[in-house]
Amino acid sequence: MSDLAIELDGVGKTYPYFTLDKIDLELPRGQIMGLIGPNGAGKSTTIRIMLGLVHQDYGDVRVLGHRMPAEQVAAKWDIGFASEDMRLYEGMTLEWHMNFIRSIYPSWDAPYAQVLLKRFGLRAEQKIKGLSHGQRVKATLLLVLARRPKLLVLDEPTTGLDPVARHEVLRELTAVMTDEGRSVLFSSHNTQDVEQISDRITFIDRGRIIDSMDKEAYLDRWRRFRLEVPFGIELPALPGIIGIRRDGRLAVATSNAFAPDMANAYESTGARVKSIETMTLEEIFVANVERSREEVEA
Amino acid sequence: MTNPVIRALVLKDWRLHRPQITFSITAGVIALAILQLKNEIAFTIGAVWFFISIIVLGSGLPISNVINERKKQNLAFLMSLPMSAAQYARAKLISTLGMFLVPWVTLVIAASILVLRRPETTNGMIPVMCILFGLPLVGFSVVAGAALASESEGWTMGANLVCNSSYGLGWYLIIRIPAINGNLKSPVAIWNSPVLMILGGEVATILVMLGITFYMQSRKRDFI
Amino acid sequence: MNGGFVISQTDKRPIYLQIMEQIKQRIAVGDWTEGRPIPSIRQLAVDLQVSVITVKRAYLELEREGVIVTQQGKGSQVAANPGLGTRLQEEELEKHLAQAARLADLLGMRPKELEERLREAGDRRLEKEGEQV
Repeated sequence: MSDLAIELDGVGKTYPYFTLDKIDLELPRGQIMGLIGPNGAGKSTTIRIMLGLVHQDYGDVRVLGHRMPAEQVAAKWDIGFASEDMRLYEGMTLEWHMNFIRSIYPSWDAPYAQVLLKRFGLRAEQKIKGLSHGQRVKATLLLVLARRPKLLVLDEPTTGLDPVARHEVLRELTAVMTDEGRSVLFSSHNTQDVEQISDRITFIDRGRIIDSMDKEAYLDRWRRFRLEVPFGIELPALPGIIGIRRDGRLAVATSNAFAPDMANAYESTGARVKSIETMTLEEIFVANVERSREEVEA
Repeated sequence: MTNPVIRALVLKDWRLHRPQITFSITAGVIALAILQLKNEIAFTIGAVWFFISIIVLGSGLPISNVINERKKQNLAFLMSLPMSAAQYARAKLISTLGMFLVPWVTLVIAASILVLRRPETTNGMIPVMCILFGLPLVGFSVVAGAALASESEGWTMGANLVCNSSYGLGWYLIIRIPAINGNLKSPVAIWNSPVLMILGGEVATILVMLGITFYMQSRKRDFI
Repeated sequence: MNGGFVISQTDKRPIYLQIMEQIKQRIAVGDWTEGRPIPSIRQLAVDLQVSVITVKRAYLELEREGVIVTQQGKGSQVAANPGLGTRLQEEELEKHLAQAARLADLLGMRPKELEERLREAGDRRLEKEGEQV
């Protein structure tokens, strides 16, 4: 029994206007992975390949030990998938949808479904067409959460939700963690949420994985140095510094491979390190994307 | 065959189309009631209505059941279910056929009983009735086949257009065949070769369409 | 069981540091005494809606500092260390002094001036306590 919930090995897919390439990704059981990247980076395609809904052109995909897409039927019994472009049947009630899912999955937890209805503020007897966008998203998530699947794969679960609804959803996502055997992969534009609840972060841009690792270790690698540089002093190009912005005597250096002796390296050139700051995931996101855009243009 | 997922899918389609099916059967029954009135005009209206009730169901079901699910992005919701593309296609075939056949059989049996009970009806009319009742089934199999095989709204609408325009013309031409026309008043049902050929043509068309559809369904690898 | 932990979004420090600080604060003021069980890593993660790995890191650091002890299979509890309270407060003082020094630097103050200001602050506090008595 593999201890990896998701395993992508050298996966690639070629489309006329877009290529997904050399995707290597691992999600150990019992962890939450946040998938972030700009629009069009390939998040949705990668997710669909994981579910066997899109066939990769090359590379191996294993989800919960099943090879995809060949064993997707077996895998999908234990996967709960919700994506932004999913639509429920407008003319039917939420209750009808709940019964439909219940008739298929033996793992449906009816009492928990009732709890979720209350927590999400939804009424089962309401027709889908009468729900607001946020309520529809929550309804779709309810249908997936109440089954208590071993793996949750969510494509933008909080996009378009008001702060209260977002909080409710995050609460249920983290609650999944009380069971060590269950895993979550979600993609999101909300870097704060990803930063807060993910155990691992995967960063994807232009069809390639830029970073995929332990979140704490990842955040630990990034620092912003605020420097005071007297006139006439040239700042050295240190390894691990990916960008320097200078404005007169002040400079800001960004590092994605922080080492404690960097401060000394700067000070020994005559610059003064005024502060070393950690960066939020959002700031890292922007720095990463800017850097890769510059590299392309260069 | 009774895969629980396929069964759930078929039941879902029935539930989604309950309004249409109920409406169609009700309209057909009302048409038959009108047919009963001792009035030439009523008979004609009732007969036309009867056929339209069935034809409308037959044209609408493939679009509603097969095409719209893809268009309205319900497919993304369904794709997450533990089924393969081939299983989904099979469920679609079963539900689409079932949802038409049940009303069709019900209404055809009801109509046959009512018409045959009338004193004016002669057994010579039976072959013609068979041909007549068979036409909507043929039309349906063409449209449903187009929908299931092409998954394209354009092709399905095209098939609908062709079939719906052909009913009137077809009936007009058939009834004018002397070998059929002349035997209507006969007290005995006469199964002569024109009748058999036409019936054979109907059955053949249905089987061919079903065959094509089955073949294409079983080869389905991708949902999209 | 989460005991009123609050993670601040405006606090720019990493979350694991905030968790560590809140645990240390409870110990420093005496609410959490030695031997008191600490919430399990998963439970705290769920209660705070924070990743398990972040809580794990906080606990690891606290264990390394000797603030908590973890027993295999039995969870974590506040460490048995009599001087814990004062040692933590010592750490706090060091931090604040370092920050004061930095700010003074930014303001262009000289060490003598900073000394003066610190003495004044100390005197002010004594006055206040005098009034209360």
